[in-house]
Amino acid sequence: MRDEPAVSWPMRAVAILALVILLLPVVIVVLAGLNAGEYLTFPPKGLSLRWVIAFLSSPTFMGAYLYSFVLALVATLISTVLGTLAAVYLSRSRSRAAAILRGFFMLPVVLPGVVLGLALYVFYVTTDIGLARSFPGLLIGHVLVTFPFVIATVTASMVGFDLSLEEAARSLGASPLTAFMKITLRLIAPGISAGAIFAFIVSFGQFETTLFLTVPNHEPLPMAMYISLRYKFEPTAAAAGIFAIALVALSTVVSARLVSLRRVFRA
Amino acid sequence: MRRRGVSISEAFGGFRLWWLVLPAFLFFLAFFVVPVLSLLAISFNKTVPGVVTLTDAFTLDNFVRIFTRPLYYEAILRSIGLGVVVAAVALVLGYPLAFLIAKTEHPGRNTALMILVLASMQLDMVIRMYGLMVLMGDTGLINSALIGLHLIDEPLPLMYNAFGVVVGLVQVTLPFMVLSLVGIIRAIHPSLEEAARSLGASRGEAFRRVVLPLSMPGILAGSLLVFALSISSYVVPALMGGWKVVVLPIHIYQQIAEAGRWQFGAAVAAILFLTSLVAVFVYHRAAVLTSGGRT
Repeated sequence: MRDEPAVSWPMRAVAILALVILLLPVVIVVLAGLNAGEYLTFPPKGLSLRWVIAFLSSPTFMGAYLYSFVLALVATLISTVLGTLAAVYLSRSRSRAAAILRGFFMLPVVLPGVVLGLALYVFYVTTDIGLARSFPGLLIGHVLVTFPFVIATVTASMVGFDLSLEEAARSLGASPLTAFMKITLRLIAPGISAGAIFAFIVSFGQFETTLFLTVPNHEPLPMAMYISLRYKFEPTAAAAGIFAIALVALSTVVSARLVSLRRVFRA
Repeated sequence: MRRRGVSISEAFGGFRLWWLVLPAFLFFLAFFVVPVLSLLAISFNKTVPGVVTLTDAFTLDNFVRIFTRPLYYEAILRSIGLGVVVAAVALVLGYPLAFLIAKTEHPGRNTALMILVLASMQLDMVIRMYGLMVLMGDTGLINSALIGLHLIDEPLPLMYNAFGVVVGLVQVTLPFMVLSLVGIIRAIHPSLEEAARSLGASRGEAFRRVVLPLSMPGILAGSLLVFALSISSYVVPALMGGWKVVVLPIHIYQQIAEAGRWQFGAAVAAILFLTSLVAVFVYHRAAVLTSGGRT
């Protein structure tokens, strides 16, 4: 072979442009949140923590951040428990029903988020079961959209799981439940944690499904930022964004250590 | 290993394996299947503003209205057109990035690139739109820099129009395109390209005639996925288009939240769902081809 790089320079240039498009908006949000002026100019007027402090004491944004955090935490808990149980079934059953259910549980990803939110909203209003514009109603929407991520991550981590390990524990006298808890659950624990992290991030940043389900005056962070963005660019919102960016970056790095990202996203 | 499929039910005595999936299944039945089906049913009811009760008087009125009023069928065409443009742009930008990741052998650098793509995929869209709007607004960074350098007198119309929506949607969907392509590009054996080179093909020719055709399933899958995501987005057209680019999700919101026309909004939602379902179905077929039947 001739001595040349694996990727030609025009390809490399476009790839770098693509990376810039992905990352530049994030960099701008960080700069806007740390900038000293009333709004972001280029070059920035200098760095300051005034907007970060404003965010930490802002009832709107800090409240929304905490609300989103609690919502994501509860949604993650529910969908991780439901999803892990279902994933154990999906990866062990060879029945046709399992193959169909696997596709069925992925449907919330296919359905446009606005449509899912509207379907739930209409359902809550017509049945009058008190879920319309309530925390439990919003939570149900978030469990639905985070569930596929738990299923995908946990089933991926169970591929190649050696059932004979569980059988060995059984033959040594462990009860079925003990064998499952002490052997299987421990071995797939990284997959479950990664699935929970994905679920958390998806819920924390969820906008589309939330649109029709928000409780008035209790907006999650994406909704609060959306409302403020319609009128002006508040640097306080950007400061809130910095904390959200940090949360997502940290979670992705942690989940990359727990599971093979390539296997989960089939890349 | 013929005992594999049943071993857990054996291990748990009388426990049946499918009990594990029951809670999730019932949850989905109650809060996914029933709501989506009732939304579809309501779209066949006559529109009565402010009233939402399912009746058995079914009619096609809402759909007839959508396909005969330019306001609505143009929104369908606008959504589909935007989806096609965004898929094309995301492909042109995403392919080289996927190629670069696939060809990066260094494990640390490879993981770092994957994490960058994944983190940018998972970050809240509204935050990313904030960044883009600060960049592209009339008094934004690009326009004020260009005016400051005396290159232009009037700000360029970069957002609150279709251009802004396309940029926003490309930003949001690019990671999905990249992830659809990395696997398939990596699976193309380098010896195929080397064989073409040793037979006298130039680097560009080897790419066009060997690598690119072999990436086709990934290209198809990525484009359809990006298309489906683009036509489904509410927040990007709302912010980057400033309500001037009226696509299907914006119509849905306006019908419900502003006009209280539930049945009509449900009908628009049904059309959006159907369009995205067709795209995803073809995507799934393409993805099955990509993985050689291993889904």
